[in-house]
Amino acid sequence: MSKDTRTPADAPVFSVEGLWKVFGPKAERVPTDPEFASLSPAELRERTGCTAAVRDVGFDVRKGEVFVVMGLSGSGKSTLVRCLTRLIEPTAGTIAIDGEDVRAMDKARLRELRRHRAAMVFQHFGLLPHRTVLDNVAYGLEIQGVGRAERRERAAAFVAKVGLEGMEQRRPAQLSGGQRQRVGLARALAVDPEVLLFDEPFSALDPLIRRDMQEEVVRLHREEGRTMVFVTHDLSEALKLGDRIALMRDGRVVQLGTPEGIVGSPADDYVREFVRDVPREQVMTVRTAMRAATAEEAADGPALPPDATVSEAIEAVARTGSPARVMDGGRCLGVVDHDRLLRVVAGTGHRPEPGEKAA
Amino acid sequence: MATVTATTAPRTALPGPLRHPAVGKLLLLAVVAAILVPLMNARWASGSWPHELTVDLSAPLARASDWIIDNRDSHPLFLYFFGYLSNAVVVCVRAVYLVLLAAGWAGVTAAAGLLAWRTAGVRLALGTTAAFLACGLLGMWVPTMQTLALMVVAVLASVVLGALLGLAAGLSDRTYRALRPVLDTMQVFPAFAYLLPVVLVFGIGVPAAVFATVVYAAPPMARLTALGLRDADKEVLEAVESLGTTARQRLLSARLPLARGELLLGLNQTIMMALSMAVIASVIGAGGLGDRVYQALASVDVGAALAAGIPIVLLAVVLDRVTGAAGKGPGPGGRAGWAGWAYAAGATVAVALAARIAGRLDWSESWTVRIAGPVNRAVDWMTAHLYSGVPYVGGTADWAGRFTTWILDPVRAGLQWLPWWSVLLVVAALAWLIGTWRTALTAVLAMAATGVLGVWKPSLDTLSQVLAAVAVTLVLGFATGIAAARSDRFERLLRPVLDVFQTLPQFVYLIPVVALFGVGRAPAVAAAIVYALPAVVRITTQGLRQVDPAALESARSLGATSFQQLRQVQLPLARPALLLAVNQGVVLVLAVVIIGGLVGGGALGYDVVFGLAQGDLATGLVAGAAIVCLGLMLDRVTQPTGRRAKKGA
Repeated sequence: MSKDTRTPADAPVFSVEGLWKVFGPKAERVPTDPEFASLSPAELRERTGCTAAVRDVGFDVRKGEVFVVMGLSGSGKSTLVRCLTRLIEPTAGTIAIDGEDVRAMDKARLRELRRHRAAMVFQHFGLLPHRTVLDNVAYGLEIQGVGRAERRERAAAFVAKVGLEGMEQRRPAQLSGGQRQRVGLARALAVDPEVLLFDEPFSALDPLIRRDMQEEVVRLHREEGRTMVFVTHDLSEALKLGDRIALMRDGRVVQLGTPEGIVGSPADDYVREFVRDVPREQVMTVRTAMRAATAEEAADGPALPPDATVSEAIEAVARTGSPARVMDGGRCLGVVDHDRLLRVVAGTGHRPEPGEKAA
Repeated sequence: MATVTATTAPRTALPGPLRHPAVGKLLLLAVVAAILVPLMNARWASGSWPHELTVDLSAPLARASDWIIDNRDSHPLFLYFFGYLSNAVVVCVRAVYLVLLAAGWAGVTAAAGLLAWRTAGVRLALGTTAAFLACGLLGMWVPTMQTLALMVVAVLASVVLGALLGLAAGLSDRTYRALRPVLDTMQVFPAFAYLLPVVLVFGIGVPAAVFATVVYAAPPMARLTALGLRDADKEVLEAVESLGTTARQRLLSARLPLARGELLLGLNQTIMMALSMAVIASVIGAGGLGDRVYQALASVDVGAALAAGIPIVLLAVVLDRVTGAAGKGPGPGGRAGWAGWAYAAGATVAVALAARIAGRLDWSESWTVRIAGPVNRAVDWMTAHLYSGVPYVGGTADWAGRFTTWILDPVRAGLQWLPWWSVLLVVAALAWLIGTWRTALTAVLAMAATGVLGVWKPSLDTLSQVLAAVAVTLVLGFATGIAAARSDRFERLLRPVLDVFQTLPQFVYLIPVVALFGVGRAPAVAAAIVYALPAVVRITTQGLRQVDPAALESARSLGATSFQQLRQVQLPLARPALLLAVNQGVVLVLAVVIIGGLVGGGALGYDVVFGLAQGDLATGLVAGAAIVCLGLMLDRVTQPTGRRAKKGA
């Protein structure tokens, strides 16, 4: 695609640095004043009447990854994702998409960004109630000026892709919540964006439907490898979908890392409390759980890839009764035995070095 | 006597927690009064409004009105602006009228029926056709077309004006903030108050009637357009923005379609208000049905008034149902919809041509049913047998007489006996208790303005009628509303009645009350009660029914009797709705009490009618301004705390 020729493959799609969004009177003074910047949210509101929704946030979203922004309600995650395409105007900081400064864009350029490069899926779907499913999906193309026949044809393909064949002529009001969000997803996909932004897309859905939709996203990502920024307040969703997770609290990113990094080595007590009930054996891999192998262990026993989960290793170890080897290619990296695996489950296992968590 | 109940009733209605601030407010007010009252009393000791504080506006107003009359044919402002406007209106109304006549009764009926069929279905189409035929049968075809022609022009102008204002207010916060209080306030003014200013500029005639109608009917369209554009689902708009729409695309593809319901509701309200005003505007030269009613009422010819009143009622019900159904229906259909419209248009033309060829363009005289005679005989019979001397219950005229002697007269005498400053004090206290200090200040200033204008006494006369009517309306309305909220069956029975009554123009309420009670203040009050009752009943019922079911259920689970539930849960929780009912009741009652000037209600309404009839615009204008002040005062006194302000924020 043309996008690939513009930027090197490993360059970040989104690059965010020192991003602030402050709501309130004279908001622009807050980020620049170190005194205000260090205040707690309650103190800040008391002193200035301002609320800082996003405070000094920086991260890169790499091409093809699912980047999850996770936090409780009020942590600023939805504001953050809206700042990326300036649906909410940031107060300070820099945002770049493929190296281009988003904050410096004029109106036309910004519309171009929204039309072609980043499409968003919303919590409450944001469908137009007076249009049919097909016309809702085709809406983004209509905005771009694509002709009626062509946009309908392209939209029909995406309606089929999200599994809504035969419902093209229905109105949103005639659909269930899950179906509506499929329409929202198809609408975002139909404009073939470089990045898909999701703002808590499944929080309004029933648990079973939510699981279906999560699998749908996993499938789409596997098939197309599209870059995604996914905002959620649901930890299990974040762990399931995210290649990397930015955990937010009070507008700040408190930890940024792989699901394993966040569960295995929480950066502070808040994160630790947050991930306390996560079934660690399903997130942690044998790579972090293993120890060095003795010569005889390295020769024999069930073999596992390094990114196998601990629960897979438990199954293998229980079946054979001997420690499992962690094999990368033909090389034995280490072994996991009963003791190592139990430590992970109990949460007393060794923690990866701080350097690892940013991996 | 009634003033005492009026002052204490809202206070006792306040629940416990609100009592403390209320006491504080009253104390503060008492302190202010204790300082100011002796001072004022010393300077202007007078029971009525002190003469020194009035400004006589009648001389300058008379001069202004004379100047306008003298210069209407020569001054450039009139020649090149108002003249053109007024000519354009005359030409438009005339053109529509000629088209309607050219289409003939068959063509117009077919067009109306098919229009109703396309927008609202077969049943309403039949109803519409029947209604138009009934207008012809009553011998009112030509006046109906005159009213319709005026309506078409006025509604089109109102919709365009209202939609443009609404669009501006919907898209710009600043315009919204500026426009909103104006529109809110315009809605509380009685229709009568709009008549004189337009007469001053345009003289009596069709242009004045059209402009009064437009000014009266455009605000709901503007309000609802702005509301629809602003209340659109925020996330939908955000989603639309996230796809890179331009502002124009957003407006056309999302905001306007999303506001469809409000826009059609605005159209409905505008049409209903335009009809109401087009009928009232007969006083300033709008011909048609209203004029027939007006002439008939002037000679107390109830039969003739009824013959013209029934078409008004039918027109109102049909217009309301059809436009209401259009608002509730599904979105615009596809090609099939257009084909349907094409068929409808084709059928209309065919019917019109057929009638033309058959030479049946005008409604045949032989097909009319003259109801005036029989009705008048019935009224004569009623006058002879029911007016008075019916054993035990007394006659209707007796009731009216007693109501006047025992309630209206004492209230009026009491109000006029009260020192002027104490009236202001009561107004301030009430407004402050229910609302904020701002509403209280506005109310006091508005009330004082009636004194400054030199119409303190007639204003209090009008006020006494309003108070009496509101008291009766609230007692009846709350009782009916509570009953309807407690019994589904009763509500089902009541609903169609309320639906019809809420759509009728104010003017037609005068006909039955004149038949029953003759002329005077009591019939005016009765008409006002009947007019305001449906709204009060409806708001009360809705308020009670919308009380949180969980709260009611928990009360029931604690073993509360149904009376306890009502008193301790439903009524306190429905307090905002009840206050709104009071507010609406007061505004609606005032509107009709003023129109009651046409049937001997006296006071400010009579001054307006007198001013118009005698060409004494100064008197009329002063009375009109006093009506506006009174309306403002009554609205602010009953305006619940900050509700409007909050809704705007």
